[in-house]
Amino acid sequence: MRRSRLPFAVLAFVLVFFYLPILILVVNSFNASRFGSGWQGFSLRWYVRLFQEAEIWQAARNTLVIAVSVTLVSLVLGTTAALALHRFAKTRLQRLHYTFIYTPLVVPEILMGISLLMAFVSAGVPLGLTTIFLAHVTFCVSYVALVVLGRLQDFDDAVVEAAQDLGADWWTTARRVLLPMLAPGLAAGALLAFTLSVDDFVITFFVAGPGATTLPIRIYSMIKHGATPLINALSTLLLTLTFLTVGASQRLSKNKLFGGGS
Amino acid sequence: MKAKIAILAAVAALTFACGGKKDKATLHVYTWADYVKPELVSRFEAENACRIVIDTFDSNEAMYAKLKAGATGYDLITPTSYMVSLLHGQGMLQPLDKALLPNAARVDPDYLAIAIDKAMDHSVPYMITNTGIAYLASKVADFEPTWGMFDRADLKGRMVMLNDMRETIGAALKFLGCSLNSTNPEELEKAKAVVIRWKKNLAKFENEQYKTGIASGEFLLVHGYSGDILQVQAENGDIVFAMPREGGAISCDDLVIPATAKDVKLAHAFINFLHDPRVAAENTEFIQYLCPNKDAYPLLSEKIRSNPGVFLAPEIRAKCEIFADLGDKNALWVAVWDEIKAAK
Repeated sequence: MRRSRLPFAVLAFVLVFFYLPILILVVNSFNASRFGSGWQGFSLRWYVRLFQEAEIWQAARNTLVIAVSVTLVSLVLGTTAALALHRFAKTRLQRLHYTFIYTPLVVPEILMGISLLMAFVSAGVPLGLTTIFLAHVTFCVSYVALVVLGRLQDFDDAVVEAAQDLGADWWTTARRVLLPMLAPGLAAGALLAFTLSVDDFVITFFVAGPGATTLPIRIYSMIKHGATPLINALSTLLLTLTFLTVGASQRLSKNKLFGGGS
Repeated sequence: MKAKIAILAAVAALTFACGGKKDKATLHVYTWADYVKPELVSRFEAENACRIVIDTFDSNEAMYAKLKAGATGYDLITPTSYMVSLLHGQGMLQPLDKALLPNAARVDPDYLAIAIDKAMDHSVPYMITNTGIAYLASKVADFEPTWGMFDRADLKGRMVMLNDMRETIGAALKFLGCSLNSTNPEELEKAKAVVIRWKKNLAKFENEQYKTGIASGEFLLVHGYSGDILQVQAENGDIVFAMPREGGAISCDDLVIPATAKDVKLAHAFINFLHDPRVAAENTEFIQYLCPNKDAYPLLSEKIRSNPGVFLAPEIRAKCEIFADLGDKNALWVAVWDEIKAAK
């Protein structure tokens, strides 16, 4: 019997939709033309100009500082939340807790942005990087908690009991048993939190203060008034960075988690 | 656990340390991206021993929503005129101190005659741009600078108008000799008929892709913003910008100081600096919008002065108008626009 060609066609179609736009963007970042209206020759002029734009790099720095700190803090908070939710799943308090964790995922971003801004203003918190950090942690915690919770659901609690039977104290159990087994979930949660923080525009726009422009805010404004090829060049650099990070992390996790095998 | 606490502490230190360096006076400017020549910013910083921090917004409405919700800390903002009226109406702007703005006297009086805040009581015009027609000189025969070009059946399917209620109905109103801020139902009814007639010749109503379209020759004639057209011209020398003889829309971004500004004096100093004729001319050459400063005009290069996209002939400029806030008549316009969009 011949295999159907349909799955292959669907796969090709999906891949084209996923990657063709990215490919066009990367190609255009080397296009001498400003509008990508046609190929006007290979050029690195947008990259050269990009490196001269101090404001863009300041925005990139702001974005990274926020994303890294948000990832670390929401990883800690989200994981502890997931542990509590898993361990005491049946109690009424944890059911309420679950609702609280879940809500930020379904609240429209614009509502969250405006309400956080109003909260900061009425509390007298000066707007700046700190407020963006707080706002991002608010929604990233939920994503981390749910991802880690998913991992915990397949978790065999007997392993923890066995460790304790064998004389491991709480800290040793957490470090030598719990953390390694949860590592893929933690990594996924961290990556998700990092991406969401780097990406976020709506909430960030509202809670950003003077001197705290992030890349997405800068890019939106550039689309209206600035040069789009600079955005292409910047995106290409970010994409390269992302692929390198993901590639490196996959390589590392393969070696560490599964003892270098498979 | 100690490791975690150490990480937390490091994160906290990292986050809060970024507010440092507060020894110099700082001016916080909230504006569009790439809207002032970077060298001019450095020059002002050196002359006034201060630091300028620029933050950007991408739409007047989003900026308004943010300020309205209570965001503060900005000393100078550059909204478009219609938004300036709204901000002023809500008491969100400071009156300007003319004693600190000697260069305000250099603002082009012809422009002020059509401006909304004619006395520069709370706003000083910063940059103006025009909406007109761009076309490919080698492909469009017998071009005439009139909105009536959209009636040309030989260009059918190769023309684009802006997908913007104010711009497109406004163009039809100008074509009919009315004000583009008209709220007279009869005039609007006539304008509606005109746009529906034009629509039969249009490829589409569109705001962004028309730039690529005319650069590649997909479209032959487009309704567009002069700032955009000037950028595309650098790529395709065949593109010509023209302002219709009936007049068209002028948009202006103004310099305003919000009521919550901290360094009001420095904000005035920066406004004054931007209207220094040499600075204004240099800025205009760089961002290709026109700073309406009469003493800067003679300093502009011939290339800019002869370009109708930047510099309009006085008799045409006199026929141009600025979009005013429609207030409660907005619904009337929206209804007309809906009918146009639905028309076959």
